[in-house]
Amino acid sequence: MLSRVALKPVRSAIQPLRMTQTSATSNAAAAATSESSERDLVNFPRPVRQEFPAKVRMGFIPDDWFQFFYSKTGVTGPYTFGLGLATYLCSKEIYIMEHEFYTGLSIAIMGIYAVKKLGPATAKFLDAEVAKSDAALNSGRDVSIDQAKSKIVSEKAEQERALAQKMLFDAKRENVALQLEAAYREQLIKVFTETKKRLDYQVEVQNVQRNLEQRHVVDWVLRNVRAAVTPEQEKATLSQCIANIKSLAQQNTARI
Amino acid sequence: MMANLFSIFDPSATLSLPMNWMAIFVGLFILPWTFWVSSNRSGKLLGLVTSQLHMEFKTLVGTASSQGHTLIFISLFLFILFNNLMGLAPYVFTASSHLAMTLALAFPLWLSFMLYGWFNHTLHMLAHLVPLGTPGVLMPFMVLIETISNVIRPGTLAVRLAANMIAGHLLLVLLGNQGPSMTFSLLSVLLVTQILLLTLESAVAVIQSYVFAVLATLYSSEVV
Repeated sequence: MLSRVALKPVRSAIQPLRMTQTSATSNAAAAATSESSERDLVNFPRPVRQEFPAKVRMGFIPDDWFQFFYSKTGVTGPYTFGLGLATYLCSKEIYIMEHEFYTGLSIAIMGIYAVKKLGPATAKFLDAEVAKSDAALNSGRDVSIDQAKSKIVSEKAEQERALAQKMLFDAKRENVALQLEAAYREQLIKVFTETKKRLDYQVEVQNVQRNLEQRHVVDWVLRNVRAAVTPEQEKATLSQCIANIKSLAQQNTARI
Repeated sequence: MMANLFSIFDPSATLSLPMNWMAIFVGLFILPWTFWVSSNRSGKLLGLVTSQLHMEFKTLVGTASSQGHTLIFISLFLFILFNNLMGLAPYVFTASSHLAMTLALAFPLWLSFMLYGWFNHTLHMLAHLVPLGTPGVLMPFMVLIETISNVIRPGTLAVRLAANMIAGHLLLVLLGNQGPSMTFSLLSVLLVTQILLLTLESAVAVIQSYVFAVLATLYSSEVV
């Protein structure tokens, strides 16, 4: 405890900085060093929670003490000091190895064995318990975050659905256009057929009229011709025809 | 230099002040610092032990328990536990091996329970003097016996704790005293024996503190 007070400047240089705040708040805190008007964050920075215990050598001596002496005595300095001190105390009988010493030795052996064997398992178990209670503390916030995230996802799904509605509109519009086109074509054909019908009628009428005229003219001509044929003409024609036939017949009998 | 075997328990007085009783405060160094809301490993361990004890003591008191009824007994347990365990370490004064301390814990507790019970629930306390199902002939003797057992309760509480601690320490000291005069080969036997004894002593330390706290809980539950 006192070593922390004594070695404060050294400690601040090697502060373990695993934060349990969120990166957002820590970034905000770092960014607000100059902006915070209520508190001087440069000279009085916010304390940060250590994630793991401080480093120790040989189980109980803080590593800071060795770092503190490193510049003066090097790596073996503190060990030499400890060994020398122990030897001095024992040899001068300042420290007498009586019953308490052997009790202490037994306790040291027990302690080292217990820490080496049961230490990691206990640490893991306790870390799990701490994580559980931390999760319980953070649960309100985390649950709200999860709810907000799921809301975002469902909102996006709703937006996609709305887009699909848009496609539906386009499809409907196309459908209506097709129907209009079909109706237009139908009417076009109708108009065509009607017009053709009327024109055909006119053509038929003309044809019929011409036929009538033709027949009438023919009948008239025939009638007039028949009327114009006098009996002498008739006789002359008939005798001519008979003469022709006779000559033909003579020709034919000559050939045979 | 040991005048007799029990001089290990002598409170050493330097500067004409018995500073050895400051050993009682060593337990405070082990209590966790709760600056942060999220606990560290040792704090979590202490919390687990405390909550487990609270559950146990609550069931002991039963329906008569009120909010915070178990708090004093849990702190009593932790106090005696730290004193016992710290006393096992070398050169630490075992405060709980002195009747002065154990009686100072047991007597006020018992006295307060008795005064409260006898003044406020006299009939209830008188009824406790005769257990259920005693034959009529034996009742006077039962009252006498129960009174005596009630009266020696603080004594038993105090002496039980002190005697257990004294016995354990005595054994360790006897064994340790043979250490300086031993060869190196025999030293291993000595260390093994001491380790076994220390295991026993740690168990006894925990059990004695638990017994003290549980008995105090039971006495309090009798009275309510």
